[in-house]
Amino acid sequence: MTRYIDVLGALVLLELRQRIRSVAWVVLVSVVFVLVGVVTALLWASLSAFGGDEARASGVYSTIIFFVLLVGTLVTPAISGGAINGERDAGTLATTQVTLASAGQIVLAKFLAAWTVALTFLAASLPALAFTLIDGGVRGDTLAASLGVLVLELGVVAGIGVGLSGLITRPLFSVVTTYLVVAALSIGTLIAFGLGGLAFQSERTQTYIGIDYSVGGEFDPNTGLPEEIRCLEPDTYTYTQPRFDRVWGILAANPYVVLADAAPTSFTNDGYPQDLFGQIALGVRGAQIAPASEEVIDECQAALDGTYDELWQSQNPREVFESTVPSWFVGLLIHALLAAAALGGAVVRTRTPAGLLPKGSRVA
Amino acid sequence: MSSSTAIEVAGVSRSFGEVHAVRHADFAAEAGRVTALIGPNGSGKTTLMLMLATLLRPDQGTIRIAGHDPVTDARAVRKVMGWMPDVLGSWASVTVRGALETTGRLYELSGAEARARAAELIDLVGLQALAEQPTRVLSRGQKQKLSLARALVHRPTVLLLDEPASGLDPAARVDLRLLVRRLADEGVAVLVSSHVLAELDEMADDAVYLEHGATASAERVERSRTAARQWRVRSTDSAALLRAIDAEGIPSAGTDHLGALVTVAGDDEAAAVLTRLVRAGVPVTSYGPAVGDLEHTFLDLSRGDADRVTASDEEVPS
Repeated sequence: MTRYIDVLGALVLLELRQRIRSVAWVVLVSVVFVLVGVVTALLWASLSAFGGDEARASGVYSTIIFFVLLVGTLVTPAISGGAINGERDAGTLATTQVTLASAGQIVLAKFLAAWTVALTFLAASLPALAFTLIDGGVRGDTLAASLGVLVLELGVVAGIGVGLSGLITRPLFSVVTTYLVVAALSIGTLIAFGLGGLAFQSERTQTYIGIDYSVGGEFDPNTGLPEEIRCLEPDTYTYTQPRFDRVWGILAANPYVVLADAAPTSFTNDGYPQDLFGQIALGVRGAQIAPASEEVIDECQAALDGTYDELWQSQNPREVFESTVPSWFVGLLIHALLAAAALGGAVVRTRTPAGLLPKGSRVA
Repeated sequence: MSSSTAIEVAGVSRSFGEVHAVRHADFAAEAGRVTALIGPNGSGKTTLMLMLATLLRPDQGTIRIAGHDPVTDARAVRKVMGWMPDVLGSWASVTVRGALETTGRLYELSGAEARARAAELIDLVGLQALAEQPTRVLSRGQKQKLSLARALVHRPTVLLLDEPASGLDPAARVDLRLLVRRLADEGVAVLVSSHVLAELDEMADDAVYLEHGATASAERVERSRTAARQWRVRSTDSAALLRAIDAEGIPSAGTDHLGALVTVAGDDEAAAVLTRLVRAGVPVTSYGPAVGDLEHTFLDLSRGDADRVTASDEEVPS
């Protein structure tokens, strides 16, 4: 076991030495550091609209975390997507394969190294993130959950990148494919969700019983209702509505949704989320609620019962959260399985002695 | 020094799709001897090397490296086998010393052992001045030395060298030859492939000829080896030499800028020809095969018996 770890460690170190000494890495880390810093400063200056200092802090923090996820998922494919096929092209993979290092160790080491390098980009944005924490207002559990998910999501992208670099012969093609997978998860799920919701339409019958305002005498100045309430004939409409509740699961696979859903949200006193995590999560949680197929809006009865004011009040966001289920762990599991499948495939393809070789590839 | 069989190849073939890179390879290489693997470009040398190096699975046939099967027990083979590839890949931003130390670690040496071994190998191949340089600054020949050192990290008893001499300057070639001979004397089985046949001649004990993916049979090799070939005679009095060749009825193959060529079959006949020339009073200064043993056999095999060998410019001392 220690021998396994020793060889793995030597391989990881070798990968890191090669990647962290590269000019590309230095440039990318500097760009990330500056970019995140600039975005933070601009947000800080412009988002006083968020309200008090605490709200501003959590608002800026959550926005920056999403920005770091965006930058991280854009940069990680570039550094991981050519890990194995690039070495095969350079002729250095075979010299590692003839040593006592197994295919599993080689692929695992490349994954760990790519993940570590991806985390250096997160580290480069830590100063800006720390700055948003100065004012307080970001809860400890929100901080831990959001950073934890960010770390794991970068690992997922690194894993997919390294895995595809083992499965696909040409480095350029595997880098592009990694980007496409990231895009499919980030944007593709949104498109699928939107189109899917529209594809599953169902009918909704709404019966509306209104108040006859043309009779009944004077209006009460307090309630705006006539003194004597007379009901109108029930009015029935039928219309089709999209069924997002049938496809909300697609959004669970979106990394931004995973991040938003996993981070505990702070609510304002009237039940509204204070940060971007909550606002995005609210959208997904709300989509879980199945719309009724029949609905009766009895304005007249409500007026008679004296509950007219409550009739038009919808559930507040906090209640939506409490009545729906979190999905982030499902999404994270899907991502982890994707990365594991790609890495597993890469191990099989890197195993020697090699049987079938894809067209145009060389062993050494 | 043992004389046991270190590499055994029986009925091995390997194709890539429609291309039959190796059709039928049969040979054995002994421990303590240097075996040359000879064949024209595209004859399947590298494919065969890759199969021996546990990187490629043969379609058919069996391979044993120090008694182990590279297909079923690659790890056991890797422990005792060193491979120097024909493609010179090196970890570009790692230093020469770092590359050798890392290789040592990948062969499960401890950190201290790997460091000590790296220092030893840097001295052995003569890369002291470049030890702390990243490998990307190395020239082709220097990379070749690093590649050789890397193959030796775990003191293998079977060494596979794929074109080790290409890119080396003459001094480095001599060093390589001496090193390979020394390793063989220590009991290592060395299999060397090269295009530079004159050089293999000087270090190889045995030879395996590969052509169109098949090894030539021992009988065919023996027939080619003993087939009539040209020897070159040089004399301070070339007129007397040519007269003597004519008078003695020695089959002449003409002259070139280095001397006169005669056709002889086998070493005994060559000795008899020399005796006759000396008896005839010709002042002979040099007498030897016009081309090396390996080259002669190789050319004879690849051209077939009909086409006679022509003289090469290389003077090989007999």
